[in-house]
Amino acid sequence: MSNQSKWFWIFLSPVLLALTVVVVFPFVYGFVFSFSDWNGLTATSFVGLEHYINLFQEEEFMNSIWFTVKFSVVTVILLNVFGLGLALIVTRKIKSGNLLRTVFFMPNLIGGLILGFIWQFIFISVFGDVGNLLGLESMQGWLSTPETGFWGLVILTSWQMAGYIMIIYIAYLENIPKDLIEAAQIDGATALQRFKNIIFPLVAPAFTVSMFLTLSMAFKIYDQNLSLTNGGPFNSTQMVAMEIVRTAFSDNEMAYAQAKAVIFFLIVAVIALTQVYYNKKREVDL
Amino acid sequence: MKKLISTVVVSGALLTGCSFSSGSSGSSDADQLTIEIFQGKVEFKDQFEELAEKYEEENPDVDIKITSVGGGSDYAASLKTKIASGDEPEIFSAAGPTEAARFEQYLSDLSDTKAADLALDGSLDPVTKDGEVHGLPFNQEGYGFIYNKKVFKEAGINPDEILTYEDLESAVKKLDSQKDQLGLEAVFAFPAKEKWVPGNHLSNVFLASEFNQKVLEAYNSESVAFEKGDEFKRMIDLQAEYSVQPVLSLDYSQQVEEYFSLQKVAMIQQGNWIYPSVQQMDEEFAENNVGILPIPVEGSEGKLPVGIPNYWAVNKNSDDEVIQASKDFLDWMYTSETGKEAVLEDFKFIPAYEGFDTSKIADPISKEIYEYSSEGHTTGWVLLGYPGVWGDYLGGNVQRYLSGEMTWEELEEDSKKKWEELRK
Repeated sequence: MSNQSKWFWIFLSPVLLALTVVVVFPFVYGFVFSFSDWNGLTATSFVGLEHYINLFQEEEFMNSIWFTVKFSVVTVILLNVFGLGLALIVTRKIKSGNLLRTVFFMPNLIGGLILGFIWQFIFISVFGDVGNLLGLESMQGWLSTPETGFWGLVILTSWQMAGYIMIIYIAYLENIPKDLIEAAQIDGATALQRFKNIIFPLVAPAFTVSMFLTLSMAFKIYDQNLSLTNGGPFNSTQMVAMEIVRTAFSDNEMAYAQAKAVIFFLIVAVIALTQVYYNKKREVDL
Repeated sequence: MKKLISTVVVSGALLTGCSFSSGSSGSSDADQLTIEIFQGKVEFKDQFEELAEKYEEENPDVDIKITSVGGGSDYAASLKTKIASGDEPEIFSAAGPTEAARFEQYLSDLSDTKAADLALDGSLDPVTKDGEVHGLPFNQEGYGFIYNKKVFKEAGINPDEILTYEDLESAVKKLDSQKDQLGLEAVFAFPAKEKWVPGNHLSNVFLASEFNQKVLEAYNSESVAFEKGDEFKRMIDLQAEYSVQPVLSLDYSQQVEEYFSLQKVAMIQQGNWIYPSVQQMDEEFAENNVGILPIPVEGSEGKLPVGIPNYWAVNKNSDDEVIQASKDFLDWMYTSETGKEAVLEDFKFIPAYEGFDTSKIADPISKEIYEYSSEGHTTGWVLLGYPGVWGDYLGGNVQRYLSGEMTWEELEEDSKKKWEELRK
């Protein structure tokens, strides 16, 4: 073993150890428990694939998966559009550029729970009052129907995460060599052509990263969901993570919830890996 | 090589650092007993801690540690996590027979305590199994329509005359027609966002007669019939129609703090537990102008649902010595002068035991509830015998009904089916 690789492993070992203890072990344990009738305190027998068969027939779980998929598609698109848009704005030579970066990034520093409560107030009270003032019926009762609850969550998440995604795009935008843009300008390329043919292909790696981040994040959302709508009305805005927690702790079916969590893990892993694979293929190198 | 060793030591210390701090809680002086109390009622947390300190002064060999975790399902989950991780509390709270059954293997027999002797008639039934008493009641609670006395007076309504649904309906209409003069936004604030308000509390009023007002009967029942389903429906309709809108996004804190305490509504369906919140918002209003009315049900007019929402349980797995010390503490709390005074005046509990000077009950809502209770004008709390999360499920269906996704017939059918499913 060379000296360098020895140090490599020594420095890595605490992390590996921690990862094994807090991630790998519980995961394996959970996987095993999902085949038993574990109720959180004791497990008496193995039930085989029973939980896995049941969960595909459970309407509520399927609804929550479908809701999460819809939510993820919409937020991934919106977040990347907003993130890239904001990044393009703040990388321009404008005076307030640095201030804007901070402002756009700030929502990301507030915890999801608090954000949910703040937006709950906005959606219910502020929207309600503005609606009264303008005489708009459609501003009333946000969060009290499944549709507006969905959009409420989308708005909250986009507002919170767009600044973070913006930072990723900024990093790549600032790496684009100035002379490439200049050369295109001299050749008479319009702003749109420059964006389409130079900027966009060169920030493609950022796209891979932020797609992965937004996808996995949108799937795993819990705290915003809990504090904004708490799954209501009638569990119609309940995402998978929340459904699993409810199964485990309210319905008191730990092993069944564990089986759901395994399926959830597989779905997120498959989608995220596929996405990274395809995005990687499209990237161009300088 | 020196460097390598120090690296390993440092990283090892970093990793174990967290366990040092949490590991120390178990150790204590050789002759001191540690009693850890884990309980789910946060409203009286500070007062409870003060009482525990007084007990420690009188009994220096006992060290009491109290952890309070709030809100229905969260508490049960934390308790389960705590037990599963091997950090079992010596005393914990359990709400009714459903929760007691879940933790049955941890419950020791409390029938030899003084408190069990003094507990009010019938209050121990839900947690008694094979002659063993598995829990001691916290207190009594009751609920109904809490109303604003001043508004009722100004509108010319005598609350004592409201007994039947028709009485209530005409009072509501009268209030509604004068709401501008009375400065009201609506008659009710009906928080349909909270599934427990219609799903547990309101449904209980209409289901109790089916189970002869007995929580155990509900707990043992294989099915539910909705005998008073129509009455249940019209009460929901009435509250929803004359409520601040939209009801589906109205929650408990808005109901109690924003609308009732600021006197923007005349009535809310809640219980004596809201008193501290109202008091914090408007002391004068809380002391002089709040009263409670029973929710009218045919056949039990003028009766208030009063029940035991929570029980103290003592962990069976502790050492005998510790179990005895735990029992002593609970006894002391409900039978000694210091304890009784704190329970009544600081916790603001409605006592579930004999031997209390009930003229000292602190707040007017509790006082009224105690009067109903001592005169026997009560109905049962069968909601603690609902199977699992059925109450929440029913609450979800009420939300569907209110937003037009479900008819009332579908609601009854679906909820009956769920009950049977959960009982299997």
